[in-house]
Amino acid sequence: MSETLMSEPLPMPARADAPRRVAPPPGYWRLAWGERHLLIERRALIVSLLLLGLLTASSLAYLCLGQQVLSPAGAWAALKGEGDPLAGFLVRELRFPRLLAAWLTGAAFALAGCLMQTLARNRLATPGIIGIDNGATAFAVASVVGLGVSLAPPAMALVGAATAAAVTFGVASGGDTRGYRFIVAGIGVGAVFGAVTQLLLARVDIDTANQAYPWTVGTLNARPGGAVAVLGIGLALGWPLAMALARPLSLMRFSDAVARGLGVGLRRRRAQILGLSVLLTALAVAVAGPVGMVGLIGPEIARSLSTSRGVPLTASALAGALVMVLADLTGRLLLAPIELPVGIVTAVVGGPWLLWILMRPTHRRVS
Amino acid sequence: MNAPQRLQVEALSLSHGRTAIIEDLAVELPPGRVTAIVGPNGCGKSTLLAGLARLHAPDSGAVLLDGQDIQRLPPRELARRLALLPQEATAPEGLTVGDLIRFGRQPHQGWLRQWSGDDRRAVEEAVAAAGLEALADRPLEALSGGQRQRAWIAMTIAQQTPLLLLDEPTSALDLGHQLEVFELVRRLAADGRTLALVLHDLASACRYADHLVAMRDGRIVAQGAPAEVVTEALVHELYGVTCTLVPDPATGTPILTDLRRA
Repeated sequence: MSETLMSEPLPMPARADAPRRVAPPPGYWRLAWGERHLLIERRALIVSLLLLGLLTASSLAYLCLGQQVLSPAGAWAALKGEGDPLAGFLVRELRFPRLLAAWLTGAAFALAGCLMQTLARNRLATPGIIGIDNGATAFAVASVVGLGVSLAPPAMALVGAATAAAVTFGVASGGDTRGYRFIVAGIGVGAVFGAVTQLLLARVDIDTANQAYPWTVGTLNARPGGAVAVLGIGLALGWPLAMALARPLSLMRFSDAVARGLGVGLRRRRAQILGLSVLLTALAVAVAGPVGMVGLIGPEIARSLSTSRGVPLTASALAGALVMVLADLTGRLLLAPIELPVGIVTAVVGGPWLLWILMRPTHRRVS
Repeated sequence: MNAPQRLQVEALSLSHGRTAIIEDLAVELPPGRVTAIVGPNGCGKSTLLAGLARLHAPDSGAVLLDGQDIQRLPPRELARRLALLPQEATAPEGLTVGDLIRFGRQPHQGWLRQWSGDDRRAVEEAVAAAGLEALADRPLEALSGGQRQRAWIAMTIAQQTPLLLLDEPTSALDLGHQLEVFELVRRLAADGRTLALVLHDLASACRYADHLVAMRDGRIVAQGAPAEVVTEALVHELYGVTCTLVPDPATGTPILTDLRRA
């Protein structure tokens, strides 16, 4: 009896989970430990590493180049506090803090742009274009020219950005972030805040106006003390938050009914994404002024390199940082010893870019 | 898959802005069957389907899924029990058929559960059910209308919900492509799913649905098995058209002939 039982082949476990390895979809790697598993899109990882490599190279160039040119080895030694004290001062006190500000502002503007574009399902809908930069600037300038408000410029920038976003929403009515109504409303709001900034500057004496000038063009030359640290904290929290929203974000690129059918609570997600985008923009404006063009260019580069399976959040942030570093380096070198504000460089590059986007044949939506 | 779930509507009123579309409507989808919702343009059939899928919050009344008000269910849980293919389904550019179908697994996935064996099986089954094996790596843009519609339906199949709501899945498709979709719908019902389709073609509704819900002006005019409820008087009431009904020699379901505007 037991003989026959033993000779029966043992039944295979019925669960098809039995082979522990689950083949990933084409183009992905699957990492699994225990019951947890992650999918990593190969292309996204490669693109991010590529951008990181370019960012590293351009950052090194940023530290080396200037009126005083250092060798890469010299710049590295200076950064570590070795070698020539003059070079040490140049790198550690001047170039590196400014490089850090370029990284953070570029990443924040581009990440905010990518979030807003995905939210509005429109690649023109960056915070800069819908008036949030201008709102932040107007409030920051108001605080610089001393309009009886005692908040620091970064806090004022945040208030201004939130105000601009709220007004844009109010004008576009009904919390609908889709379509041109939202963008046109934002352009109008941005124009009003731009005018407010000009008005504020026109009414104060020349010294105060000069003091407020960096806020209006966008430069990394006049970084308010704590603003960079605040931006650093904001980005350290904002980037993981954005990554946590990556899955709903990728579904929000579908039509609303599809996204909701797949379980996205649209109202709540939209509020979170908008809030994050406005916050990042405001903190970046508080450091560098309105360099919103980076919010358009960074995500555009990231998307052109990525597949459309997901929303390229990390790649956008890295591309934004790269654009900012290169733009500021160009601004420092091009007409040296005169320095071009980074906002002007990005506008000169971004303007034609925007035209090119507009001139390209419109893409069909897939139905 | 779970046992069939009951979706019923009690005293439902829905409106667009201030315009009441549906008032005090009650209906229940027979489990494991195909229900077709038909009626003239503007009768509220798509609005009803949107209400069933919670795209539309009711002014009063409730949509009950196994006795629970769907307004109270978390979005992801609802998406694991009820799938919807809306009429205006748009996807980001550049997705392949396989990418699209994998998005159907989203309600089952999480940050640390991104691709389980269940996900893989569900996607394979959906690809096979919709007959898309050869097309899985093609971009959506490169498909014909019927193939694309099957890809969208496959996405909802991958959701593995006992309930499936399709809003005019065959509009804008030619005859052959319509048949592809209807045959797929029948196979899904044979697997034990409950389906509801909004259709504008009464003849197809008679041919492929087990249960017919006929609507006009936001009300239900008739419901039941197509062969029983579809009469010449009903066609006149719905569409203002006189006709003669004859049984289809092949299937026995009613077909409309001698159509004339009343």
